[in-house]
Amino acid sequence: MLETIELRKVFKGKTAVEEVSLYLEKGESVGLLGPNGAGKSTTISMISSLLLPTSGDVRLNGKSVVKNPQDIRKVLGVVPQEIALYNELSAYENLKFFGRIYKLKGNHLESKIQEVLEMVGLRERQKELIKAFSGGMKRRINIAAALLHDPQIVIMDEPTVGIDPQSRNHILETVRLLNREKGTTVLYTSHYMEEVEQLCNRMYIMDHGQIIASGTQDELRRILSGEDTLLIQLNEPSPELVQELLVLDPVRQVEETESGLKLIVTKQSGILAHVVQVAERLSVQIVNINVYTPSLEDVFLQLTGRKLRD
Amino acid sequence: MFTVFWAQWRKERRSPFMLIIFLSLSIVGTVLMSMTTNNKMLIDVFGVPELTTAEETAWIQLLNQSEAYQFKMRAEQPSRDAVREGRADVAIKLSENNYKIISAIESPNVVLVEQHVFHVFAKEMQIREASTHSGDENQFRADVEHNLQRPALTLQTQAWDGNPIVKYDINLQFLFGLTLFLVIYTIGFKVTGVLMEKTTGVWNRVILSPVRKTEMYLGHLIYSFLIGFIQIIIVFLIFHYGFGYQLMEHFDMILVICATYMFTMVAFAMLLAGVMRTPEQFSSLLSATVPIMPMLGGIYVPPGTITNKFILGISELFPLTHAMKALTGVAMFNESLTDVAMPIAKLLFIGVICMGVGINLMERRKA
Repeated sequence: MLETIELRKVFKGKTAVEEVSLYLEKGESVGLLGPNGAGKSTTISMISSLLLPTSGDVRLNGKSVVKNPQDIRKVLGVVPQEIALYNELSAYENLKFFGRIYKLKGNHLESKIQEVLEMVGLRERQKELIKAFSGGMKRRINIAAALLHDPQIVIMDEPTVGIDPQSRNHILETVRLLNREKGTTVLYTSHYMEEVEQLCNRMYIMDHGQIIASGTQDELRRILSGEDTLLIQLNEPSPELVQELLVLDPVRQVEETESGLKLIVTKQSGILAHVVQVAERLSVQIVNINVYTPSLEDVFLQLTGRKLRD
Repeated sequence: MFTVFWAQWRKERRSPFMLIIFLSLSIVGTVLMSMTTNNKMLIDVFGVPELTTAEETAWIQLLNQSEAYQFKMRAEQPSRDAVREGRADVAIKLSENNYKIISAIESPNVVLVEQHVFHVFAKEMQIREASTHSGDENQFRADVEHNLQRPALTLQTQAWDGNPIVKYDINLQFLFGLTLFLVIYTIGFKVTGVLMEKTTGVWNRVILSPVRKTEMYLGHLIYSFLIGFIQIIIVFLIFHYGFGYQLMEHFDMILVICATYMFTMVAFAMLLAGVMRTPEQFSSLLSATVPIMPMLGGIYVPPGTITNKFILGISELFPLTHAMKALTGVAMFNESLTDVAMPIAKLLFIGVICMGVGINLMERRKA
């Protein structure tokens, strides 16, 4: 339905997006994951025709969006990262404005406003001014404003940044409803791995302007299928232990956590014994050891060498 | 376009304070400045101890035959203190046949007061001297008054076109000047809406809708134009009906000039918005540039006061200068629309240039 072909964007000599190719099938929910500054928002701006790519193309049903932006604008709803609303107006007035710019009128506009308010759970508070809303409520109206014209594709740019858990759950529920019950195609960007895991069938992982991995959750997990994650709880931090463990062959990565260490190690027998021996030699007391299959967060760490929220 | 206009109007209704503040400032500012021009300069006078009360009263009566000054008897010490402490430019010390000017600084006021007092004393001394030779002093004074009312020579003055000379109404100048000056802020802060929407992301949302970019700009700019225009009309109507300013004779032409000025100022604000990236930067630039316009344009001083060619050249760049020229020409000198065609044309020219460059800069930044 929608694809990008080797999208590239250069700002004043600095490459923000490099050769990004991705696709969305009709009715799919696709995640675009990456830390701050990875190039997600720039990619989204190019897909939604707000920004011209330096090179590459965006195609909707095979037709270039770069040449004919009107085509994608008709079927697209964009939820920007910022709260793109009039603070001085009420939630209802904002939605009336955004409905009118899509040529919705009269009873149809009224029923659409009530429908999207119901969807984001703010129907009872529609007469209140946006400036009186909490951050989470603003974000919910921000989403509602993008859904008034029944878009076939919805692009959401980090819609849950800095909000309370209740609003976050509401937003995640809204996205699920949109995708699963209404069949809307969703491109969801976030730097919260668990959100993408919950909502998306497939995902693309971006870093430094490039897509470094893509696939379903299982496909991505398979990147680390030959590895285990060890979570070691220590009585006190030990930099010497980190150094010693890094020397061990099976140890691929060591990360210091609040209570100890997190190790990504090659699946093989005897690794636990090695770790315990080193700790004993350095007189570091191990309180607890957990072994589990790597998560997508671990995959990301492995691919980029940094955490999603770094 | 109407939807964008509607949103601006709804916002205005929610917080009309800025409009009310600038409307009030126009009215209060003009009234205050008019009060200062109508006031006579107050000058303290004290006499030497030998001077009788009757003599003091006689001098005060003579000195007060002036439209510019009001002389008032006061004790010597407070009069001197006022001059020393800078609360008064000048005081007068009277003696029977003479006077002294008490001043602590050199200022044009001191020179003008000195000229007036010298004129009064010289005339009175001449009459006194002449009357001592006439035998009947009272009769002589009566004859002088009588002859002054029917002088041997009379001087008539006319304007260059043969019409009577128009008395320049500085209060009308203040009204036009302050109203046109303060409306720049109203327009400026309305045009900031474009930058504000670009910052918040509302602009991008509207771009993705079927609304065309031209309609988006027009919605904002027509709204800013109308708000400023309405502000001017309200102020002029208040001064016409509330304070007796004569504006209705040429009101249609005044409206045409103000509408042209509004277009130019909206375009000027658009240029500033094109140069600046954020509403905060825009506000700083607006606050820094706008106050210069009335000063260099000579809005606060009588015409002809500013003679420096460099300053006059710079003031030509400001729309306020041309709008003032056209408004005072029409309202005070009964000039026709053809007579003020040049300043109107200059306004339109500045407007077209500013609008073109402003929108271009704004659009170019996006890519």
